[in-house]
Amino acid sequence: MRMKALGSGFFAGYLVMAGGLSAHAAQEAKALLGLVSLRLLPDSATLWGARASQQFVLLGKYADGLERDLTSSASFSVSDPKRGTIRNPGQFVSETSGLAVLTAKVGNRVAKAALRVEDADKLRQTTFVPDVQRILTKRSCNDATCHGGVKGRGGFKLSLHGIYPKDDYKAIVAGGTFRVLTVEDHPKSPRVDPQHPEKSLLMKKPALEVAHEGGMRLEPGSPDYQALVQWIRSGTPFGDEAEMRVPAVERVEVLPREIVLQGGAQQQLVVTAHLSNGRQEDITEQVQYVTNNASVADVSETGVVQAKKKGETNILIRTPGYTLSADVGVVDKPIDEYPAIAARNYIDRHVFAKLRTFQILPSELSGDQEFLRRVCLDLTGTLPPPERVREFVADKNSQKRDRLIETLLDSAEYVDYWSFRFGDLLRATYVTSNNTKSTRAYQNWITNSIATNKPYDQIARERIGAQGYSAPARNFYYISELTTPDVLMPELIRLFMGRRIECSQCHNHPFEAWSQNQYWGLAAFFAGYTEVRDSTLIIDVLGGGHVDQPKDVMVVNPRSKQKVVPAFLDGTQLPPSEWMDPRRHLANWVTSHPYFAEATVNRLLSFFFGRGIVEPVDDFRSTNPPTHPELLRALAKDFRDSGFNLKHLMRTMVQSRTYQLSATPNENNKDDRMGYSHGRARPLEAAVLLDAITSVTGVPEKFEIHPIAGGGDAPVGTRAMHTITDICPSQFMDDFGRSTRRALPSGSPQPSLAEALHMMSGPVFNAKITREGGRLSALLKKNVSDEEILNEFFVAALTRLPTSEEKTELLQLLGQRSQRREETLAGLVWAIVNSREFAYNH
Amino acid sequence: MKTICGHCRGIPQTRRDFLRVGALSFLGINLSDFLRHRSAGTLALAGPAAVRSEAKAQSVILIWLEGGISHLDSWDVKANSGFRPVATNANGVQVSEVFPGIAKHMDSLSIIRSMKSDERNHPQGTIQTLTGHRPNPALKFPSFGSIVSKERGARNNMPPFVVVPTPTEGDFFNYQEAYQASFIGSEYDAMVLPDPSQPNFQLPNLNLPKTLSVDAIHDRRTMLGIVDRHFRQKENLAEFVKMDAFQEQALKMLLDPKVKEAFDLSRESDKTKDRYGRHRVGQSVLLARRLVEAGCRFVTAAGYKHGQWDTHDDNDKRLRDTLAPLLDRSLSALMEDLKQRGLLESTVVLVTGEFGRTPVINPKGGRDHWPDCWSLLVGGGGIRGGCIVGASDKDGATVAERPVSIGDLYATVYKALGIEWTKSYMSPIARPVYIANGFDDTLGTPLKELI
Repeated sequence: MRMKALGSGFFAGYLVMAGGLSAHAAQEAKALLGLVSLRLLPDSATLWGARASQQFVLLGKYADGLERDLTSSASFSVSDPKRGTIRNPGQFVSETSGLAVLTAKVGNRVAKAALRVEDADKLRQTTFVPDVQRILTKRSCNDATCHGGVKGRGGFKLSLHGIYPKDDYKAIVAGGTFRVLTVEDHPKSPRVDPQHPEKSLLMKKPALEVAHEGGMRLEPGSPDYQALVQWIRSGTPFGDEAEMRVPAVERVEVLPREIVLQGGAQQQLVVTAHLSNGRQEDITEQVQYVTNNASVADVSETGVVQAKKKGETNILIRTPGYTLSADVGVVDKPIDEYPAIAARNYIDRHVFAKLRTFQILPSELSGDQEFLRRVCLDLTGTLPPPERVREFVADKNSQKRDRLIETLLDSAEYVDYWSFRFGDLLRATYVTSNNTKSTRAYQNWITNSIATNKPYDQIARERIGAQGYSAPARNFYYISELTTPDVLMPELIRLFMGRRIECSQCHNHPFEAWSQNQYWGLAAFFAGYTEVRDSTLIIDVLGGGHVDQPKDVMVVNPRSKQKVVPAFLDGTQLPPSEWMDPRRHLANWVTSHPYFAEATVNRLLSFFFGRGIVEPVDDFRSTNPPTHPELLRALAKDFRDSGFNLKHLMRTMVQSRTYQLSATPNENNKDDRMGYSHGRARPLEAAVLLDAITSVTGVPEKFEIHPIAGGGDAPVGTRAMHTITDICPSQFMDDFGRSTRRALPSGSPQPSLAEALHMMSGPVFNAKITREGGRLSALLKKNVSDEEILNEFFVAALTRLPTSEEKTELLQLLGQRSQRREETLAGLVWAIVNSREFAYNH
Repeated sequence: MKTICGHCRGIPQTRRDFLRVGALSFLGINLSDFLRHRSAGTLALAGPAAVRSEAKAQSVILIWLEGGISHLDSWDVKANSGFRPVATNANGVQVSEVFPGIAKHMDSLSIIRSMKSDERNHPQGTIQTLTGHRPNPALKFPSFGSIVSKERGARNNMPPFVVVPTPTEGDFFNYQEAYQASFIGSEYDAMVLPDPSQPNFQLPNLNLPKTLSVDAIHDRRTMLGIVDRHFRQKENLAEFVKMDAFQEQALKMLLDPKVKEAFDLSRESDKTKDRYGRHRVGQSVLLARRLVEAGCRFVTAAGYKHGQWDTHDDNDKRLRDTLAPLLDRSLSALMEDLKQRGLLESTVVLVTGEFGRTPVINPKGGRDHWPDCWSLLVGGGGIRGGCIVGASDKDGATVAERPVSIGDLYATVYKALGIEWTKSYMSPIARPVYIANGFDDTLGTPLKELI
């Protein structure tokens, strides 16, 4: 039973006028107000077999820019009534073969769709694939928390969402009787009993005729129940692929894929399976719908989306082998006369188009000071010094932002900063069983790669495929504590392909169609690295003889105990002739895979915009869809076309108007977290923060070298971002959550009590502020006024002057403390460098 | 070519050991609540989960036997031991002769002789024993101490979960997740303290600069409020609110003389320090007592050095000469103090390492790793003493009776603390995680013999 569309606020004014009309006419008249055009989805359909049905959705485009679901207010007709009839609003049911046109009419506006009915005399048999599998999926029987879990439930194991139909078929149909585990003295029943279908355990359990931990899943008498009974009675056919009676599903599509609704409005979804024989099948009622955020929009069992409150979410749609999603945006009242916003490049075009669709207004362009601080921190990890701030603000050149971007991209600080960031990602660290020479050689390789703007695919290839004495990136393997293939491999997939494949180490991936064999096949590319001799793990990355020999290029799948040879994710095995240097092939495969560019642009985007199109940035999966799929593809294409040019990618990002939007939200966009409608505050990394405090106080930080690396003081001029975690101890950076580089960084550091204690009583926030020779002591010596000191520190730390309110209040307090002026001024600097405004980039 | 022993590596210290200060449960406080509380001069902690009223225990002291104690030479003495079993003050309960002091407290402590786990190597075994889960590449699990902290909440401005000193020093990274809160929130991570037996022992950053007056602190905070107001009007992230709460907490810790006192071992008499033993082990146990007294929820006394109980060679000699005396002295001093101060009723005492050791003596006179069957001590906080749970076979090689999982042990301690032991947490990868994770990832149950 489909829900009817509810009247929304948009129509409220008209309702009074329509008071005297018949209900349908009133609904129609209401729908016509402001209607610009109509479209029917899908625009054509082929129906196969007796009494096949197809759901259509009628969308009306309105003057306010929104599309509304008019399916239930329209009248539908079929050009040739012999072809079939209209059952529920928008649902066509076939009767005889042939062609026809479906017309939907609202007032005097119409939309049409082509219908083709084939083999209308042929009864379609219910088979295991796809019918039974669809029922099991729709009813969550094979969900990860039930029988689709790694171990199944109650002794009954199905593949997750039906991805392995043959195994599932065997589990259900193979002989044997089973006790109802929850009732001790219950007689054993077969899972399927063709003589008495209703007595099958497959029927009794979900219908709750016997105890079932999963509760009622299948109401007796429901169409799905009848279908299962009929399937068992007809001898549990699997489905004969050879006769093409059950063609494979090649693609599943949901319409509309992007929906914008006002609170309270509804939208019917239509889900279509595209089959290998070119036909399509309406499976709207055979799939499972799950909302990612029920407080924004809910969805019914039959695919009707109900908008709740302003926000954005996805509706996930599950059917065996496929998970897809529809994006739902719920908006307030549409904006009158949404303004035209000039785009600087394709990023803006994609972002602004979506904002417009979702009726969100972007913030204003950032002011010069806001932009300057943001871009300096993002490209170089440093604050602009006060004189540069004044210079930039005074510059009247209209191209000054682009010129600044070029200056920063060419600066030595850019190399420092991105060497540090990629040092975190590529994990340049010292570990216990290594010498510091390797660590430094590896970090130098990273630094040189950044300094020469080496194409990123080359960086990845050098790192993945490193072999022999001369390759500097081999030091990663040397210093890595991830010594076994089964841990080296998933890190690589996560870093360079943005996927988390770890779950499939021990079992098939619960949310993705990744099997354990694929996991171990990829891991086998690293098999040559390690060898266990006399219970001692030996690592050899220097090509010293015993590794990288064909005998080593295998790993053992711990579950099947079978040896696995190197194989790519699609199952293609590396031929034995190439086993001498398997990682070169792996490197080529990784960098030419579409995932590589997508994962890289997404990660970079999250650096500059505070959020990736997929978030977390290394968790691409079908159940975690991208917010801007077209933008992701466009960025990936641009990155590939540029020859994986990192600077080009960064330039494109920071030149966009989207990047340069103010961080001050407007009333309309203040709750937006996914649309890039305004600049977003991001915490400074521990090293950047320490360097920033150094630059504000004017007192260099002294770093020591750990005794393991030779001890002594670090060279003069060493900044925090030059340090390698374990070689330069730093209580400050540890407390502020620097990356240990022992694992890939995951998310930004969270506030902690250590950090708070450090702020109150740590030396960086106390002694450093007042030290002789620093900015404060120099200003005090110059005998300048409180106001000048205040201005100087605001500009140095926050790239802005104090507001008049701040100035009044702070100067007043300083005035009252004239007898302990120095102490209070030191307190002022403490307050500035402890503010969230200082500790974040925004 | 480089060679690493797969386990028991002798590893140099890699970095000055860091203090990861875990913190209190401030999640869930919104800004207006916070500001209101701040103006009222108090900050309410986010309330812990409901606690069963009949629970007696308030906190846990875990004495961590780093490297894995030989069950055969301690709590489950067999014919293949080099030591004799001796009677204790509990009827029918025997322990090894190397623990004469502990033998006088066995009426308050019980032995579980049928512990069974899976992991045979130190990092993995430590993670399994201290989280209840085998290490998993896809998910890190919250530490036992983090769960107790989350469920019972912080008290008296004290950090809820403390580990003293840095365990597995020099190789802490490989063990760190055993002490972390993982997905339940960094505020429940263990606060790791330096070695309390060092003369200059103090908690870093727990002392305000001497020149800083209370008035100056007040001014600083006033100015911080003025400077940050402009930005906060534009953007108010959940992290800011969390940071405010941490700052408030930090200030309370810094200004609360009781907190500083709790960490100040100089307040203990020389006689007391001697009773526990003037060593990392003894002083860590002593500090654990002070911290629990002051309000910590879970303190791990990890005074043994990296691999100190890992007796692959000279098992008997090392046990007799060093390991056992340190434990005998510190644990009996702790039991005496807890009893005398009336704290035993409210403090669970747990004594274990990551696994047991092989029944067979190896050619070097040592015993190797053995998770198949091992023993531990538990008592206090309403957990019955003087009992023996389960039994091993005649060699102590396999569990003969009543296999006990880590999850069963946790469930027993949770029950003592009034924590709903059947709970599970939903992990970020949508896998539910039992707080008492028993055999084969099933739910553990409290040991009815003990509680």
